[in-house]
Amino acid sequence: MGIKRGVSLYSYQQEQFFRRMNWKDMIREVHDNLHADGIEIIDEAIIRNYPFPSEQFIYDWNNEMARYNMKAVTMDVYLDVHQFRDHVMNHREAAERLKNDIRLAARMGFENVRCLCLVPTEVIEMAIPTAEKYNVRIGKEIHFPLPIRPGVKPAKIDPVLDPRMAEQIIDLVQRTGTKHVGLVPDFGIFQHSPTDLAVDYYKRHENPDMVDFILEKGRDYEIDDILKMLDEKFPGHTMNFMSMGTIVIKESSARPEDLKEIVPYIVSMHGKFYHMTEIEGKPGQYEDKAIEYAKPIQYLKECGFDGYINSEFEGQRYRQDGSEEDMIDEVEQVRRHHEMLSRLIGK
Amino acid sequence: MFDRFLIRKDSLENVVSGGEVTGFKFAVRIADYRGCFLSLHNGYYVECDGEQYPVSLQKFEINNRPPRSFEEIRKCVWEHWDYDDEGFLYIEKKGGLLPGRHTIGIQQSVLAQYGYMPWDEEWVKNPPVPGKGSGAGKTAAICKFELELQA
Repeated sequence: MGIKRGVSLYSYQQEQFFRRMNWKDMIREVHDNLHADGIEIIDEAIIRNYPFPSEQFIYDWNNEMARYNMKAVTMDVYLDVHQFRDHVMNHREAAERLKNDIRLAARMGFENVRCLCLVPTEVIEMAIPTAEKYNVRIGKEIHFPLPIRPGVKPAKIDPVLDPRMAEQIIDLVQRTGTKHVGLVPDFGIFQHSPTDLAVDYYKRHENPDMVDFILEKGRDYEIDDILKMLDEKFPGHTMNFMSMGTIVIKESSARPEDLKEIVPYIVSMHGKFYHMTEIEGKPGQYEDKAIEYAKPIQYLKECGFDGYINSEFEGQRYRQDGSEEDMIDEVEQVRRHHEMLSRLIGK
Repeated sequence: MFDRFLIRKDSLENVVSGGEVTGFKFAVRIADYRGCFLSLHNGYYVECDGEQYPVSLQKFEINNRPPRSFEEIRKCVWEHWDYDDEGFLYIEKKGGLLPGRHTIGIQQSVLAQYGYMPWDEEWVKNPPVPGKGSGAGKTAAICKFELELQA
């Protein structure tokens, strides 16, 4: 069997924004040019009239997937707790949204839904009977800056993200015995350095000397401390905790070898990447200089993982501040990513 | 993201109602990679030629419905603004804009989230005033556009 390749249509968000590709064009690209069959979607980007698509849309989707013999791997679902505006959704209401998304995923042939790392475990537990009834697995995403195992490094406790997330999901699976809950690790947790695209973006919008200063201090200091230094040395800067987080990256948030312990719980993986560039001296071979792929894939292979890695291209947003000609070609980036995946997977 | 493309360049027009120019409008896209439940839309920070226009002077046109105030929009809890769709932002300004070029700065405030956050209860009681980054999606800056008023 082995590891299988797919694409999250998130990767083509810019093509969709400029109306150069619709979801049918994307499916055809994955089939014809990547020779892959896995498809992942963002529900609120692809499903017309979410969460009440027409019967025609559902039939059209299933027909198109059947036409090219594609696999609906994972549907990415969300939790907007302010939907009702007059109160914060409680956990039972949050579970209703998740259950509705599961039913929608089932109608579109998806095997899994990906829920976000901020969704409380209790909400997932409430949705288990629905997941079992419709045979759709719920995979909770392990997203940067989460580790796979906590305590590997003395990370600061985040006010909202719990570093024990993977462990909590495994406990839930063991406690309930369900086969319909698991994890969706994102390769972003193996990002070990800032991507050049983010650094260049901030150099265009801020004082380039300040960006170099941040990169230098980023090796030894935490973001809070660097922000204080910036306030003093570069008054009027517009950097904040979020933007700093994209260029102050000392080491990956998870260790590749920790994947070995969670392989049985992985429902699918997000192949996050920012910028595929040609490897020096190896024409036609590509890499993302900021994210480790070789070791994680080696461990996945050793442990017999036979699910999907779905490309998730995210570099485009750092080049949307200029003209249309300056933008990054998403189609080409995903093709390069699949050159790398095929090479590392070994088929 | 989409910093330079959140307003369609050729969309700035005056709005005529009952034979009088009552304001101006322009076409906007969502500053995110996904759409949102319409109720989450909390309005815009808008400045035009240095003058700010608060949410109380704004209306939003989407889903083939007439322009609605953001007081009405917040009640649209089962309606969705799809990622593919362009909306029109209407700004009340007696007499509208003069012919020629105008500098418009905007930042959206869509209260989309990835789950529970420490400020949730506060946002129910006192929704954030657009312009400070809350709900700005994936585009943190106030984006500036030089637009020609269309005839």
